[in-house]
Amino acid sequence: MNKKRENSAIFWLFLSPVLLAFLLVIIVPFFMGVFYSFTNWSSSARADNALRFIGLTNFTGSFKDPAFGYSFGVTILYTILNMIFINFVAFALALLVTSQLKLRNIYRVGFFVPNLIGGLILGYIWQFIFNNAIPSLGKIFDFLAFLNVPENLILSKNTTAMLALVAVGTWQYAGYIMMIYIAAIENVPVELHEAAKIDGATPFTRLMKITIPMAAQAFTVTTFLTLVNSFKQFDVNVSLTSGGPSTIFMSKPILGTELLALNIYNTAFISNNLAMGQARAVIFFLVLAIIALIQVYVNKKKELEL
Amino acid sequence: MKKALLVLVVGLVAVSLFAAGGTDANAGGAADAKAGGGKITLMQNKPEIDPMLKAYSAIWTKANGTEVVIKSIGGTAGGIGQQLKADYAAGDMPDIFAFDGIESYKEWEALILDLSAEPWVSKTAVAFKKDGKVYGFPVAVEGWGMAYNADMLAKAGIDPKTLVNLAGYKAAFEKLDKMKAELGVNSVVSMAASVEMGWVTADHNFNSLLSNGLPYGDLSVTNALLAGNVDDTRLGEYADWVELLFKYADKGVLTTGNYDSQVGAFATGKAVFLHQGNWTDPNMKAANATFKMAFAPHGSMKKATDGIFVAAPSFYAINKESKNVAAAKKYLADLVATPEGNKYMVTDAGMIPAYSNVTLQPTGMLSQSVQSWAAAGKVYSWNQYNFSSDFRQKTLIPIYNQFATGQISKAQFVDLMKKAFIANKK
Repeated sequence: MNKKRENSAIFWLFLSPVLLAFLLVIIVPFFMGVFYSFTNWSSSARADNALRFIGLTNFTGSFKDPAFGYSFGVTILYTILNMIFINFVAFALALLVTSQLKLRNIYRVGFFVPNLIGGLILGYIWQFIFNNAIPSLGKIFDFLAFLNVPENLILSKNTTAMLALVAVGTWQYAGYIMMIYIAAIENVPVELHEAAKIDGATPFTRLMKITIPMAAQAFTVTTFLTLVNSFKQFDVNVSLTSGGPSTIFMSKPILGTELLALNIYNTAFISNNLAMGQARAVIFFLVLAIIALIQVYVNKKKELEL
Repeated sequence: MKKALLVLVVGLVAVSLFAAGGTDANAGGAADAKAGGGKITLMQNKPEIDPMLKAYSAIWTKANGTEVVIKSIGGTAGGIGQQLKADYAAGDMPDIFAFDGIESYKEWEALILDLSAEPWVSKTAVAFKKDGKVYGFPVAVEGWGMAYNADMLAKAGIDPKTLVNLAGYKAAFEKLDKMKAELGVNSVVSMAASVEMGWVTADHNFNSLLSNGLPYGDLSVTNALLAGNVDDTRLGEYADWVELLFKYADKGVLTTGNYDSQVGAFATGKAVFLHQGNWTDPNMKAANATFKMAFAPHGSMKKATDGIFVAAPSFYAINKESKNVAAAKKYLADLVATPEGNKYMVTDAGMIPAYSNVTLQPTGMLSQSVQSWAAAGKVYSWNQYNFSSDFRQKTLIPIYNQFATGQISKAQFVDLMKKAFIANKK
């Protein structure tokens, strides 16, 4: 008994620094944020800066703003596209580097490296690629001349700018997800493949019937990670498109690729409406939490019990 | 054993907390003791002058014994405001901070010290004033118009003096457009209207609508628009001007370009005109642009408007709650009154001085052009900051961007602008 208590004391001793940090930088600010979303908080010294409760005004105001509704829509679209592209590319890369390829370890590193570059820098690099490098291809090769037409610039239209965001997101994140898939694929028992081979299964059948079902646990993790990360996308959005180009939504001119996180930031710091930005962050949290919980629940059901 | 461990846990946590908090306090205390006169923190919004300001502050500290900490926060409009809010919430508000106009003044109204009695007030015409009292120390004078490549205009036989109204610009642009190959340019104007460059359209170009052709400081048009009353003739002529600029701009730079591509096109001789201000002087120098350049007025009206937009872009405010108000006041006063301060402002940082007693001259050609317009009294004010950043960034930027990318016509542009002003009415 005494030994057990001692163990639990040591357990809490080692846990306490992390718990304390978690409490101070996550839990406390979270509840303060929820509190502020019901007030007129501005964190500035306005002439009339007394903190007042204003009920649900920030929430109703958010839902009335066409830009917020639009942001929700584009964010969901972006998330779906991003999840599909990232997982597809990552799985393909994982299959590639777990095959009998020469130099596969070098490829692994190469595919992973983009993940180590900060999103802001990445956005500026790709902005250069989309605005300068790709059009210059049109100058060099005659059959690509259409790339050099200003109307065809990838970042000059909403639809293509959105695809550009997805392309950069995939380029950045696929290597990381690939690592998770590699671990899962390498954990599939070799005997299963051998037995299937003897029975005459083609590589494609083995992929569909053995590798993918056995890697289902990895899919739970990767879909969760890509879902949450795509939903929270901010830095690439800021540096690559700044939310542009514009569009007209509900007869109001607004930014066309402004994802939710950027919309929250702009509400707080460009419109100087911190409390409403906070209210949007609360809505953002609730929606993301619900979607993520549903996703994990659905995926868990599909996992194979070994 | 259990108790001993618990004590240990509590002790460790407490020690780590105190250690974390204590280091800062100790460091501050040590600096205070060393300097003798405490410490002042200055937060400003021009990262490009950060090293010069730090070098000057080191000299000032040597003479006055007060340590000066410089924090430079750049970036787009939200940059410094965001940092100030974070620091204010953390109880770490700087002693001196920069703000750009009435809307950001309102954010910090309760904190900004009245500077009316300062010695530099009588030496400047562009201090930030409200209700007859001075609240902001003008950092510099800046100006913009249409920067032009004088060599190319001479080659095309265009007299810059004709560039004062819509008709003058239209004729010049048409002529230059036909001579593009001869001059070796890609486009006539280097203009940017992407969302990232929204400050060029929704701040600078927008100001043509607000103040062009009006006496300095005249807010009649601004106040009418703030009240939702739109002058159709003025807005219509302004829309013609915007259309003209967009039509003769390089479409790639216009719709997706960033600052470097916009300024670079002019600096490397790929455009005859540039829609920017004298802050591009260092960029011109970096690009080795040796051609002659100067500013011409904006042609946003049918009538001639012979002047460019000149004002102080930002002001330093002193924090009322600062523990070192006296040192902060002296720091600002010394910028104007001492030769070291003048040298920093003009020679090192390359700014146009906002003070009449400063005799030094900036070397950049565009800065000199701004000075000569100012000396001739041909200046129009900056009224764009009378509109909230919410309105400029979230409403105007998308409208200009729609027009630039050709998704809406001029009539729709006018209509959207009009609706925006009416919706903005308080």
